[in-house]
Amino acid sequence: MSTAATSGAQATLLDPQKKRRKVSPYWITAALFPAILLVWFVVTQLEVLHPILLPGPEAVLTSIPRVLGSETFGIHASRTLIETLAGFALGAAVGFLLGLLLGSSSVLRAAYLPALSALEAVPTVIIAPLIIAWFGFGIEGKAVQAAIACFYAVFITTLSGLSLANANSVSLMQSLGASKLQTLLKLRVPSALPVIFGGLQLGATTAIIGAIVSEFVGADAGLGFLLLRYRSSYDTPAAWVLILCFLVIGVSAYLLISFAEKRIVFWRSTAVSRPDLEKNDH
Amino acid sequence: MPKNNDSKVLVRLEGVSKKYQSGSNEIVALSGLDLEAREGEFLSLLGPSGCGKSTALNIMGGLLKASEGIITIAGEEMTKPRRDIGMMFQQAVMFPWRTTIENVLLPIEVFGLNKKDYVAKAEELLEMVGMTEFAKSYPWQLSGGMQQRAALCRVLIHHPKLLLLDEPFGALDEFTRETMNQELLRLQSHSGSTAVLVTHNISEAVFMSDRIAVMSARPGRLIGVIDVPFERPRKPELYGRPEFTKLVVQAREMLGLA
Amino acid sequence: MTSTAADVRSRGKELRKQSKSTTQSVIVGTVTLVVFLALWEILPTLGVLNRVLIPTVSDTIWGLGQLIIGGYWWEDLASTLSSVLIAWTIGVAFGITMGVVLGTSPFVRTAITPYAIALQALPKIVLAPVLIGALGFGPESKIAIAVAICFFPVWINTMVGLSLPSAAEFTFMRSLNATRVQLFRKLQMPSAVPIVLVGMKHAMLLSFTGVLVAEILSSASNGLGKLVKEFSIQLNMPLTLAVITVVLTIAVSLVSIMDVLERKAVFWSESERGKKS
Ligand SMILES: Nc1ncnc2c1ncn2[C@@H]1O[C@H](COP(=O)(O)OP(=O)(O)OP(=O)(O)O)[C@@H](O)[C@H]1O
Ligand SMILES: [Mg+2]
Repeated sequence: MSTAATSGAQATLLDPQKKRRKVSPYWITAALFPAILLVWFVVTQLEVLHPILLPGPEAVLTSIPRVLGSETFGIHASRTLIETLAGFALGAAVGFLLGLLLGSSSVLRAAYLPALSALEAVPTVIIAPLIIAWFGFGIEGKAVQAAIACFYAVFITTLSGLSLANANSVSLMQSLGASKLQTLLKLRVPSALPVIFGGLQLGATTAIIGAIVSEFVGADAGLGFLLLRYRSSYDTPAAWVLILCFLVIGVSAYLLISFAEKRIVFWRSTAVSRPDLEKNDH
Repeated sequence: MPKNNDSKVLVRLEGVSKKYQSGSNEIVALSGLDLEAREGEFLSLLGPSGCGKSTALNIMGGLLKASEGIITIAGEEMTKPRRDIGMMFQQAVMFPWRTTIENVLLPIEVFGLNKKDYVAKAEELLEMVGMTEFAKSYPWQLSGGMQQRAALCRVLIHHPKLLLLDEPFGALDEFTRETMNQELLRLQSHSGSTAVLVTHNISEAVFMSDRIAVMSARPGRLIGVIDVPFERPRKPELYGRPEFTKLVVQAREMLGLA
Repeated sequence: MTSTAADVRSRGKELRKQSKSTTQSVIVGTVTLVVFLALWEILPTLGVLNRVLIPTVSDTIWGLGQLIIGGYWWEDLASTLSSVLIAWTIGVAFGITMGVVLGTSPFVRTAITPYAIALQALPKIVLAPVLIGALGFGPESKIAIAVAICFFPVWINTMVGLSLPSAAEFTFMRSLNATRVQLFRKLQMPSAVPIVLVGMKHAMLLSFTGVLVAEILSSASNGLGKLVKEFSIQLNMPLTLAVITVVLTIAVSLVSIMDVLERKAVFWSESERGKKS
């Protein structure tokens, strides 16, 4: 999105009377956090919302040590993390390989893409009960559900990324008499990486969702399971602590993948995305 | 007289046609093009935009199949890209995830040769174009001219017999372009390869070439060939000589621009 | 945030358009389908796979027939479908409003981006148990959960869409002395339409997901999610698979309808024009 400097320039462009804004938008960002807490506090004090729905920030904050310090929290948390990671690895690997396969053969693409791209529409949670029936309450079923949930995003971004290689670069590889495999590995995959990372980013979130939903359907451990237990005992502050945990997990996954992307797709963050950003700024 | 007048023919196009299918209508890009490039010479393909110069070059490079006609390289019929051909395109086509020297060594990797044997050669080429200190830089840290210099090194790394150059410096400013053309001539005579250069620019064609093949507007066919008898190495002073102007005027007339 | 989650998912359509089916591909596709169906039929029959857990194709088709003849589930179907559509409508309206309010000014957009990223990374489905706890097992909680999940891509895509016009386009509009409202209506809004539609399509899937999760989670309500859960607990796999088939059919139909609407609305886009000529 936009940067402060150019947005200021735009403001003056639109309205020459206005002075350039001196305030960085990130001051607002920082100020928003206490503001949200304050609104949250006021809302709960006035009991605008049902207290079972939304306990006050002080209740949630004071519950953090209790929830995180409980004996079993580590077991539940590691269980969910393992399910998610295993599922993500499986789903991303299958999605990537299938993307490569369809990306290198137009016959396979024409044969399988119509069926596979219908997956775009499918709410994968619907098969969660089936997976539980097949795999039981253990880790495997959750991992499979997570894999199914994240497969499509990685598959479709790999496939579409492979067609993004610049036409001149393809000609260059052809003129060198490069084999299909060489063109794939040396040109198409690197060109696809920025897009694939978009798929991984989305896939990570959906993998977490897959694991949680599967735990909701039936589990003997895990953070989703724990969340349901807190709910049934009407311990809403504790439930909100878990929701914050999921926020932390989600944001960590986002940051980790962004970090990996910066490292692996280094040429993009420094060169290619910059003109893009500038173009979109105003 | 051009120096290679009676030497062997390296590339021969006979009655080459190319039709493109675009939607429901057919575009005839080339029709009955006859052309030859002799060993060691510098040949330019000159013609109006859209006349099929790139198409002809890509057919010579084996990137496109001709709809009709025969293409031979060193007596063998052309079927697919060959390793003794090097192509350069209007854009530098540097892979942004590779450093300059890694980009230069790309053909070696693709050919499955041992990269170590060619590192010295790559460094030498980079030095010849004054890019030694940028060997470890990434393409996006280089100017357009520097990128094309690196691309020039890349096309020469595997000693191709034939260089196919499709307006390689077309995207550069006038000044850089002239320097690069000089650079190209120097490296080409150094390596002794045959070069086919596609260009719109008449005086560039006269300055660079031993012979100029002038093509008609679409569908492209050969109008005629101009011999350029100037001595080599070519010097910028050439631009001022009346013989030079005469050839430029001759080319303009053939193109119907006079 | 130029490529959004919704954007990432909707790449299939473009690709499908580009890949032409040939005799060869039709043969490959047909053979694969036949082999798949044959294995699905034969392996459970032979006992290689447990037929109770994995019923054959014919078992599944029989289950589908039973389900349709039985008719006792029309209410579930109606409940799920209406919840999905209501939640989607609310979510889209809410998302577009949020997008316009927060997205018209680049300054505000920049300020809230970190929060938007955090919200995007939060698996919002975890709100479901809390919402059910507060709102009970009725349709309200289903709809609330689905809205909470599905408004997000619409909001983000509206914000991104409004920022799509280039600096040159803004300068051009200013050279015409356009007001802020004109700028919004004549430049930003049309540029945003395609990407907002993509967000709305993603929202449909998310709304469906939210409703199904709510139905699976809450023991008292009705709906297709509850039906799947009950059949699978009874190990009545033919009927489980039958309901799943129904859900898949509805989901694909809903998105196909969205595709058609998209094509009508975004007639000016590059790819749509290419297809017509
Ligand atoms: N892939 C293609 N599909 C359809 N038509 C094409 C294709 N490539 C080229 N053409 C058409 O063939 C003709 C010749 O194209 P070509 O690129 O060879 O011309 P050119 O002489 O290199 O032009 P320029 O000097 O502008 O580069 C043009 O009219 C062009 O529109
Ligand atoms: Mg050309």
